[in-house]
Amino acid sequence: MLTTLVAGMVGVSFASVPLYQLFCKVTGYGGTLNTENVVAPADVSERTINVRFDSNISPDLSWRFVPLQRQVTVKLGEQTLAFFEAENTGVTAQTGQATFNVTPFKAAPYFSKIECFCFTEQTLAGGQTVPMPVQFFVDPEIFEDPATKDIGTITLSYTFYPAENDEDDRSKVKVSARVQASHKG
Amino acid sequence: MLKRLFALIPAGFTYLLAGQALADVEMRSSQWQMWLQKPMSESAVLVHDLNLGLMILETVIVLFVLGLMVYILIRFNEKNNPVPSKNTHNTMLEVVWTALPILILVVVAVPSLKALYFTDSNPDVEMNIKVNGNQWYWSYSYPDNGDIAFDSIIVPDGELKPGQPRMLSVDNPLVLPANTKIRFLIASNDVIHNFAMPSLAIKVDATPGRVNEVWTEISEVGNYYAMCSELCGVNHGFMPIHIKAVSKEAFAKWVEEAKEKFADNSSSDYPKTVRLAEAVNNAR
Amino acid sequence: MSNEAATHDHHADHKPPFFQRWFCSTNHKDIGTLYLAISMIAALVGGLMSWYIRLELAEPGIQFLDVENNGFQFYNVLVTAHGFIMVFFVVMPALIGGFGNWFVPLMIGAPDMAFPRMNNISFWLLVAGFILLLLSAVIGDGPGTGWTVYPPLSNSDFHPGPSVDFGILSLHVAGASSILGAINLIVTIFNMRAPGMTIHRMPLFVWSILITAFLLLLALPVLAGALTMLLTDRNFGTHFFDAGAGGDPVLWQHLFWFFGHPEVYIIILPAFGIISQVISTFSKKPIFGYLGMAYAMSAIGVVGFVVWAHHMFTVGFDVDTRAYFTVATMVIAVPTGIKIFSWLATMWGGSIKMEVPMLYALAFIFLFVVGGVTGITLANASADLVFHDTYFVVAHFHYVMAIAAILGMFCGFYYWIGKMCGNQYPRGLAKLQFWVFFIGVNVLFFPQHFSGLAGMPRRIPDYPDAYSGWNYVSSVGALITAVGTLLFFVVLWMTLRSKETVAANQWGEGATTLEWTVPSPAPFHTHEELPDMTGKAPAE
Ligand SMILES: [Cu+2]
Repeated sequence: MLTTLVAGMVGVSFASVPLYQLFCKVTGYGGTLNTENVVAPADVSERTINVRFDSNISPDLSWRFVPLQRQVTVKLGEQTLAFFEAENTGVTAQTGQATFNVTPFKAAPYFSKIECFCFTEQTLAGGQTVPMPVQFFVDPEIFEDPATKDIGTITLSYTFYPAENDEDDRSKVKVSARVQASHKG
Repeated sequence: MLKRLFALIPAGFTYLLAGQALADVEMRSSQWQMWLQKPMSESAVLVHDLNLGLMILETVIVLFVLGLMVYILIRFNEKNNPVPSKNTHNTMLEVVWTALPILILVVVAVPSLKALYFTDSNPDVEMNIKVNGNQWYWSYSYPDNGDIAFDSIIVPDGELKPGQPRMLSVDNPLVLPANTKIRFLIASNDVIHNFAMPSLAIKVDATPGRVNEVWTEISEVGNYYAMCSELCGVNHGFMPIHIKAVSKEAFAKWVEEAKEKFADNSSSDYPKTVRLAEAVNNAR
Repeated sequence: MSNEAATHDHHADHKPPFFQRWFCSTNHKDIGTLYLAISMIAALVGGLMSWYIRLELAEPGIQFLDVENNGFQFYNVLVTAHGFIMVFFVVMPALIGGFGNWFVPLMIGAPDMAFPRMNNISFWLLVAGFILLLLSAVIGDGPGTGWTVYPPLSNSDFHPGPSVDFGILSLHVAGASSILGAINLIVTIFNMRAPGMTIHRMPLFVWSILITAFLLLLALPVLAGALTMLLTDRNFGTHFFDAGAGGDPVLWQHLFWFFGHPEVYIIILPAFGIISQVISTFSKKPIFGYLGMAYAMSAIGVVGFVVWAHHMFTVGFDVDTRAYFTVATMVIAVPTGIKIFSWLATMWGGSIKMEVPMLYALAFIFLFVVGGVTGITLANASADLVFHDTYFVVAHFHYVMAIAAILGMFCGFYYWIGKMCGNQYPRGLAKLQFWVFFIGVNVLFFPQHFSGLAGMPRRIPDYPDAYSGWNYVSSVGALITAVGTLLFFVVLWMTLRSKETVAANQWGEGATTLEWTVPSPAPFHTHEELPDMTGKAPAE
């Protein structure tokens, strides 16, 4: 009986991985976004909110990655298209993959992306520059929720990492003082 | 009694914030300091007041228990009380010492949650700052001010100029306007760091792949110092945070200078490695 | 004490020869003795590490670390190893493995543990874990991750080489040891109580061990799971905690603290149990509110599982989560308060005899209250905006769990050493040892509250000059504590050599539990005829 308990708890800790992801997705916990089965609401509100864009790039990628617009003001419920731009400043092709979150975290359940480049691998040849579109809308219900109604600005942040098959590149970078200076806000 | 206890807590340390100081403030700890650094933002004032109230409460609890112990040891030691009672129950007493702590905690929770929800509010800010943690320095950028970007590395002991505090001084401080609402976006390029500033009640993890935000409004012009507050590897102790708060006019002037000074920082082979290695290895 | 115990022969005892007795032991008393011995050895190792740390921090600047030779990494390794050793190889072995093994069967009237051979495995797994941990510190650069082992710092990008893997393995093995030990204790307590020794008559020490064993069963497997994920992240290309590949480093923190918070109760609950026995014995009164005490401990155990994220207030939680964990954490103050006041009420009306164990019990209550109240501050997510990762936290947890647990260990030692080896400890020297140690730890840790309030971060090998004053005082305290610790080993040696023996019931009328009904030293086999507790007064 007690051994079952022990085995059960080990199971629980492993089950926590998918459960945690599911939980984050459902609740927007940790700024995780809605990405599945998103349908824009039919009615567009007259109220507006600011959406800012932020980019981060792993020091293991020799890329430049910036939002093409720093901030947009959008009507609630309105589908909006924004662009980021990535440039491979190196000579060899590299594959990257982006993670993202929104701040404040509590805004995440109301921020929906219809289309984006996250979690799909992006390969850039040396010197290649590509625009990366994001289509999103903010749910008008954000102003109904007492916890989020004072939010005037939502920030959407992306971080590009080398994709898994570029693992060799990553492991080359070791504990030594790694310095990288292109970290534009 | 509880009400009276909490009446002891000043309504706010507003007198500290009233009026502009003549000289720049120097916000770091001093020798033999036994208390928090002076609060320099609205959030910090709330946290400071909360801590004061809690500390009074806690001191009272400790002294009460200590007093009770001393009394018991004198009154009920072998000599004074050779025959022990066999009393092991007193329902009234048990109810009281369960209910009273609950009551105290409810009273504590009010200012605590008030401060918490205030620090989490979302006022409209006038500018944004991006903070990135690196092993073992901070990099700052100003997306609203022409994308000024620079790294902020500790000044080695041997190179300190007069007036620069050891272990807290950096080559390029984070220059910010005082009396301005500022939002920080905080991220990390490698391991988890923590962007902290005690006098502003800021303490936010810089976690890779997860951007955090926090806002503040610095109430006085001056120098604010802190250190990385999450173990981040070998030189964790040597990545201080130095905020230099200046007037809005001075900040506007600094922005123009900084655009020039840090113009070449966008190239990715900015030779910081050497300087960083020097900074930490020649530290002493 | 072990060799000495061997010379006091008892006619009914058939002790195996030396090698079988100490290396293949299935006797709960011998295994308990072995646990106490490894705890003492580990305490010296972990203590030396902390004294080196305090020596380095006595003055600003770098005095002892070899900066050219990766000295700062060495410092982090010391900080890490000190934490692991003290938690897993000093406190847990002494309180659960040592006193738990020795006195749970004696107190419930059982002849031995339920699974004597498994008991032996538990102990030797712990030894293996300890060796692995020491290896991890000397192989490669050592794990400089802190005992929290947060990725990405602990992953293979930032800690290449085998040190962290050895550390993980060490905790796996030590964890397995504790899980087996916990199963053994639970089965023993549930199935092997003497007739009439109902659950509600068990001494509170047995209660505390029972609750601790359940906490171990629920918490350690989660740590094991998380460690396994970290191990595969490091070596087999998984990405559980790798933000770049869809994992989340914050998930590690959740799993670690889901184990880590109950772990602090695992450490302190058995000490609660010992203190309850001692207070009752030396007040010559049954414990006040026995059931309340037992259920307060259970409540602490249960609530301890739903407060873990108060260690993570700065990771970036939404505000409602932080509000919940603030309130839930403060709730723990209630059962804790019940325990403190019940101890005081036990003494109230008693006829208090100030023997050395009682001194330790009183010191425990005081230190636990001091550490407990600062816990109220730290429970507040808003206060954490200034306190997180400062020396205030260091002071808090050393008071409330580290030093309190060690006082509990000393308390148990002086209370039971007569039963374990049959000799009287030197009273005067023991009192001196108490005062030196008690003053030492307070001089050591109290000033750290001030450093923390002033903003000094933890885990740094050097600090801004303004912190030097309190750090110097703290290091002086470490020196006094070191003297107190060495004095303890003198006391131990003198006790084992002592000619003065003690009676079966050394403490007189207040000592009512079953271990005082067997001779001192306790014979190799005890309770071969089960004591009948039917109809006797509750064990309160
Ligand atoms: Cu850092």
